[in-house]
Amino acid sequence: MSDIVIDLRSVSKRYRIRRGWQVTSLRDEFARLGRRVLGRGVPREEFWALRDVSFSLKRGDVLGLVGVNGAGKSTLLKILSRVTVPTTGSFTANGRLGALIEVGAGFHPELTGRENVFLNGSIMGMPRREIQDKFERIVEFAEISRFIDTPIKFYSSGMQMRLGFAVAAHTDPDILLIDEILAVGDASFQAKCLNKLSQLKEEEKTIILVSHSLSNITDNAKTVVWLDQGKVRMIGDPDETVNAYLEHVTAGASATEAAASAAQQISDAPVHIVDVATYDSADRVQATFDRGDRVHVDITVNAVRALEHAVFGVSVHDVHGYPLGGIVTDPDAIKISAPVERGVLRLTLDPLILNRGTYTLDVHVRDAKTKRYLAVRRRAVRIVVDGHRAAGRDTTGAIHYPHQWETIR
Amino acid sequence: MRESLVALWQHRDLIWSFAVRDMKARYKQTALGIAWAMLQPLSMAVVFTLVFSLFARLPSDGIPYPVFVYSALIFWTFFANSISGGTVSMVANSPLIRKIYFPRETLIVSVLLATALDLLLASTIFGGMLLWYRIPLTAAALWVVPLVLLQAILSFAMASTLAALHVNFRDIGHGLPLLLQIWMFASPVAYPISAIPSWLVPYYLLNPMAGIIDGYRRALLRGLPPDWGALGISALITVVVLAAALPIFRHAERTFADVI
Repeated sequence: MSDIVIDLRSVSKRYRIRRGWQVTSLRDEFARLGRRVLGRGVPREEFWALRDVSFSLKRGDVLGLVGVNGAGKSTLLKILSRVTVPTTGSFTANGRLGALIEVGAGFHPELTGRENVFLNGSIMGMPRREIQDKFERIVEFAEISRFIDTPIKFYSSGMQMRLGFAVAAHTDPDILLIDEILAVGDASFQAKCLNKLSQLKEEEKTIILVSHSLSNITDNAKTVVWLDQGKVRMIGDPDETVNAYLEHVTAGASATEAAASAAQQISDAPVHIVDVATYDSADRVQATFDRGDRVHVDITVNAVRALEHAVFGVSVHDVHGYPLGGIVTDPDAIKISAPVERGVLRLTLDPLILNRGTYTLDVHVRDAKTKRYLAVRRRAVRIVVDGHRAAGRDTTGAIHYPHQWETIR
Repeated sequence: MRESLVALWQHRDLIWSFAVRDMKARYKQTALGIAWAMLQPLSMAVVFTLVFSLFARLPSDGIPYPVFVYSALIFWTFFANSISGGTVSMVANSPLIRKIYFPRETLIVSVLLATALDLLLASTIFGGMLLWYRIPLTAAALWVVPLVLLQAILSFAMASTLAALHVNFRDIGHGLPLLLQIWMFASPVAYPISAIPSWLVPYYLLNPMAGIIDGYRRALLRGLPPDWGALGISALITVVVLAAALPIFRHAERTFADVI
């Protein structure tokens, strides 16, 4: 039962960098050959897109693949889909392979939707009769039955993608590579794609999933591989791996952005944000909290001159940068009547209602009258929420609502 | 070798789909449509007849020159178009090659199939010419079938080698039309083999297309079986070219997606 379906053993892939991607000509190649013969080697620039990647998958496994752009995800998919071969190492796959990568790559604009279904289907390895049997279902899935005999150059890009996805989703493979499943179509079509994905999971297909939507990965994958500069940085439990990846990404991003925004401080602004830090209930500097904890956010500012109507604001963002909520001071609450050096404003969040995850806080100061931003510090501070409460019950979504249940009748 | 054949057979539907795509797409939005398949060899036959028969008075073994030259031109067009189409087929389908795996040689075979259909269309005019000049077909005409097969294998071998080179060196795309033109004049298309000085014939026959084209003429116009010596050399050279082409293509194919 638990046959190995995919087996990668220390797979590495080297690319030679061609300057400017110029098409080589025989003349250049002869010149290079000549120099090589004369003993003057021409070192070609090369880089390793993948280094020593090993893992194996069994039937029914769902693997998520995460990593920043350029980490080697696409190269790995190319090797898995047999589009290219590893430079060293070995790769074996047992079973029919299907790929939802760049769906519709095989379409010809002059041909009708019907003709393209047959063309694309056979490129994906389906015999003609099988396509005939599935034709109705494919067209229905793509929702383009009215235009099936129109050349697809008249299709909208959404229609083309839907048709391409529909064909690919019906190839009935044993191993399925999915790259950005949710990049296709509107909300209802995306829901359909997700349903198809669950169906394939139930059918015990082996699936490799690449998505920028990390929740999509943690929801579906049984194992996650984190690729970093061509190497497997971490492999294992989806939540753990994705969280580690996120911490790495947000840490890197906040460091660079802090530097950038510090340099960007508006020079003639009357107020500068010098520092933002979080403290726990015992007033110790702290970055990790549990749900329900008391959190103090201290904002240190320098005020160059008096400020009558300053509004301070803090907004909380999830790891994707999506804002979860903002808190601002009342317009008249804070008056800075004289220049201050390192004045500190404290915001207390009590109790912390965030579920397990990594969050960032933006801090800004505005002029209440002109609405102009006086100082902005994006990703000023990062907090990690973890602990027995945050990881316990009721942990769906980012927010844990303060609540009570009672029977009233 | 067997592997390749098995893979091709397993992907026959794909080959057919590619061929249908190429044929449909080629003549879409053209006014003359598939008539173009006949116009190419026909117009060349007219020009050759004017230049080589009327002006230069080339010999044609006693056969009316238009039939003589057309009988070779349709097969030469098949040869030249399948090689040039097959050579560029990898680069022409680069979006596919970069993204999806399928046996790459299916593209070359599908080009062969599409150009074979052109040959079939062009043959109808040849039939008309035979009637006009009252040249009877004999049972020897059946030799055309194995000859076309041999020629197709040679085209496949040439095209796959050149396609593998073309992916890496686009120079091939510039040099190929020139090569094919020279090759045509080195083959008995516009003139009969009997016009070649006898001391040169053994070397001349090293061109595998010499024996094949001569075979077509003997079978179709003179009711004779092929010249076994000449055809034997053609077959031998075809086998050698194929034996070299398959591993070259196999090896190059693995990294097409990286360099295309």
